[in-house]
Amino acid sequence: MPLTSDEVSEIRKILGREPTAEELAMFEAQWSEHCSYKSSRILLKLLPTEGKHVLVGPGKDAPAVKVFSDWVVVFKIESHNHPSAVDPYNGAATGIGGIVRDILTLGAKPVALLDMLYMGNPRNSHANWLIRGIVKGISDYGNRIGVPTVAGDTFFDEAFNTQPLVNVACVGIAKTGDIVLDSPKPGDVIAIIGNSTGRDGLLGSSFASKPLSDDVDKDIGAVQVGDALTEKLLIDSIQILVKKKLVKYVKDLGGGGLTTAISETAADHGLGVVIHLEKLHIREKLTPLELLVSESQERMLIVVDPSKIDEVEEVLTKFDLAYSFIGYFTDDGVIRVYFNGIKVAEVPAKELAKPRPIRRASTPPQEALKGLKPVFALPPEPDYRKAILSIVSSPNVASKRWIYEQYDYEVGIRTVVKPGYGDAAVLRLLDGSKRGIAVKGDANPRYTALDPFNGAANSVGECFRNLVAVGSKPIAIVDELNAGNPEKPEHFWYFEMMLKGVAWMAEELKLPVVGGKVSFYNEDHMGKQIKPTATIVGVGKIENIDNAMTMGFKESGSAIAIVGVTYPELGGSEYLYRLFGVEEGEIPKPRPVSEIRNARFILKAISLGFVNAVHDVSIGGASIAVAEMAITGKLGFEIDVSKIYARGIQRIDEVLFSETQARYVVEVKRDRIEDFKKLANKLGVRVSIVGNVIDKPSVVIWNGSRVVASFDLNELAYEYENELEKDLESGA
Amino acid sequence: MRNWDAVIIPGGFSYGDWLRAGAIAANTQAIEELRNVVDEGVPVLGICNGFQILVEANLLPGALLPNENSRFVCRWVRTCVKNPKGPWLSLVSDGQVLDMPVAHAEGRYYIDEETYKSVASSSPIIRYCPGFNPNGSLYDVAGIATEDGLILGLMPHPERASEDVLAPKGFRAGGRAIFESIAYSLKRGW
Repeated sequence: MPLTSDEVSEIRKILGREPTAEELAMFEAQWSEHCSYKSSRILLKLLPTEGKHVLVGPGKDAPAVKVFSDWVVVFKIESHNHPSAVDPYNGAATGIGGIVRDILTLGAKPVALLDMLYMGNPRNSHANWLIRGIVKGISDYGNRIGVPTVAGDTFFDEAFNTQPLVNVACVGIAKTGDIVLDSPKPGDVIAIIGNSTGRDGLLGSSFASKPLSDDVDKDIGAVQVGDALTEKLLIDSIQILVKKKLVKYVKDLGGGGLTTAISETAADHGLGVVIHLEKLHIREKLTPLELLVSESQERMLIVVDPSKIDEVEEVLTKFDLAYSFIGYFTDDGVIRVYFNGIKVAEVPAKELAKPRPIRRASTPPQEALKGLKPVFALPPEPDYRKAILSIVSSPNVASKRWIYEQYDYEVGIRTVVKPGYGDAAVLRLLDGSKRGIAVKGDANPRYTALDPFNGAANSVGECFRNLVAVGSKPIAIVDELNAGNPEKPEHFWYFEMMLKGVAWMAEELKLPVVGGKVSFYNEDHMGKQIKPTATIVGVGKIENIDNAMTMGFKESGSAIAIVGVTYPELGGSEYLYRLFGVEEGEIPKPRPVSEIRNARFILKAISLGFVNAVHDVSIGGASIAVAEMAITGKLGFEIDVSKIYARGIQRIDEVLFSETQARYVVEVKRDRIEDFKKLANKLGVRVSIVGNVIDKPSVVIWNGSRVVASFDLNELAYEYENELEKDLESGA
Repeated sequence: MRNWDAVIIPGGFSYGDWLRAGAIAANTQAIEELRNVVDEGVPVLGICNGFQILVEANLLPGALLPNENSRFVCRWVRTCVKNPKGPWLSLVSDGQVLDMPVAHAEGRYYIDEETYKSVASSSPIIRYCPGFNPNGSLYDVAGIATEDGLILGLMPHPERASEDVLAPKGFRAGGRAIFESIAYSLKRGW
């Protein structure tokens, strides 16, 4: 977004004179929404960010959580929505590059990537092109840098046909004492290492801070191009520099390029800087202005004590990594930029780094009424056999194998629970102990579009449940709020409500929100916003990876239990959308008290060895969750839905497809059923034993003495396994 | 003189897979050194990108083309060993099934019929079991060795299949047999 006239006069006031062209470009980059959070900063203060595990909270390039006494997890989320809409391959790839570098800034080793992709209808040709490009971009870049892509989330919806959401997260681990938490001092020198600076991504963060233009090709110059090989060298060399204690501070050159990296580093530490731009290693001849705001990828800023320069050079040379020492820190808080001896900019770091926050107006739009409508007039009951087949084959439910098989999800040999097997990925620390972590990302754009507050709260709840279902204790989350144009009050309202929903639910579940990102201006050239989406990525802790839980049925004869109470909550459900095209009604209520109680029960039942498989109930409802467990485990089942403990139910579809939160489906070992029930009783948790896993490839769903639907398991499995691929191949 | 017991070239996109997977690495000083030790009878194992390098360096026959569906594939597969011999397969029996994961974009093995006929009867070959060929490899070849079994290359990752905890449900840690074989062979004196 170009600077507004108010902002330009503000800049004049700060400088006490007319700004130079270079200074204006620096302010434009740094004061962009993307870099400065100017519209969101006031509200972001509502998020609970503290907790006993939090070592570094929001504000740095990446937060750090002390998951074990000797291990720290560094994780962060980022969006690359705008670049991916214009150039899906490079846009998504550079998203991965950027988030990995954020993790490197604290000296952690990146061990996992997640991709949360909210994309268009696979059968729409433009959306199809975007989906293929995005997945290939992540695949090519992530695989090449040797960091496994272990988990993620997807949702396909027409609202994302031209503007997809590409949210990526990286998880790193480090020994507690190895985290880089030093500060730069006056006299310390600044080096830029990695890729040479070119003309790509000029003012990219400013481009991401406005709506796409109607002719997207015009924006192509703002998209960066990735080089995974250089990124891999950065990963390896930074870890050596950190291990040898040769760097005091590390920062990514991301959005806003050199300008953001130096202004934030200086401002955060109350320092000034002197930069000589002509010393920067370049790919092509650039003007000082271009050097300041280029967003060429795979570049990082490191701060070095002058006495360590030789040793740093030695490491970088060994890795064949280009670098340049471009300046040093001063104590006067002023950024002075020279080019061939001529001063091109002189601005106070603090004022540049943090523009005054803007209080945006917020009004609920007419459309928001859709989410308040109780679903009292349900369409006539469909044939439930057909309904289940249709939901199982919905791209939002069906296996995501076509996507995750393109990612190397186990390089580094940490991935114990792999994609497709459990509700979250489980990684071992690989330090000789049995300890590990679980990671997962979640959102439901349909929920947040209907009811941004409760929808965002449900994203937190689902992430929490997914972490619990694999047997981990949830520790912390990061959030990415994807919203429309903050200058439009009826768009900004969604952002405000999503943020408040995350804050409330995180507080209730005692999950600190240790970091995050805001992405605005997600609207098409007609000004229509995408479905506003609150993406949550969480990390859980596992003491013994041998007890990590997967979702597939294991043994015929074991009992199937539904944990939690089912309410008639079909508003915003996959059932209503898939069968009737209806996207309205009150979405399922967040139920934090039940979430905590039921999670405690699940974790206890897992640790006592009562259960063989656990799966959270989410999109599609309980019947779909049980079907997924059968398909994954290749074992059939019989259940009687009249045995599901439910309240206020009028019709059978309200039991089969309700998306009530705080519920799990559990496979209980045959000889532990009584123990399981007793434990539930003791913890005040409602469980219903509804049927059994059977030895035949068949599925029968009863309602008392009447069969609701029956299937050959292979038929269900075929729909589940192949539909997404079919959709993607046919839309090409 | 190099005092190497054995050489393993692991997977991992050497030189970013630019040009063709393994093509640049095959023309480096490191591979020249490798040729010397191969002559001295040092066992060599190439895994994934390591296999691609060995093929590009003409140390193993055939070629590795982009996967049939032109996508990267990461998946556990079942393989079957024919004619096991040499240090890497000394503890593996003929027809033994080994489960391992693949993770590659250029793993479709290609070999002309004549060469294949000449090696198939005597050289160790690791084949994808029926229904498990992930990339359209000719003759289901997942890995191949020199006739004496000294140089073995394979697309699946034995190092990712050496511990039970890493094998997903329905698969066993089949790669372990390769590392146990080389340990056994070296201890006995290879």
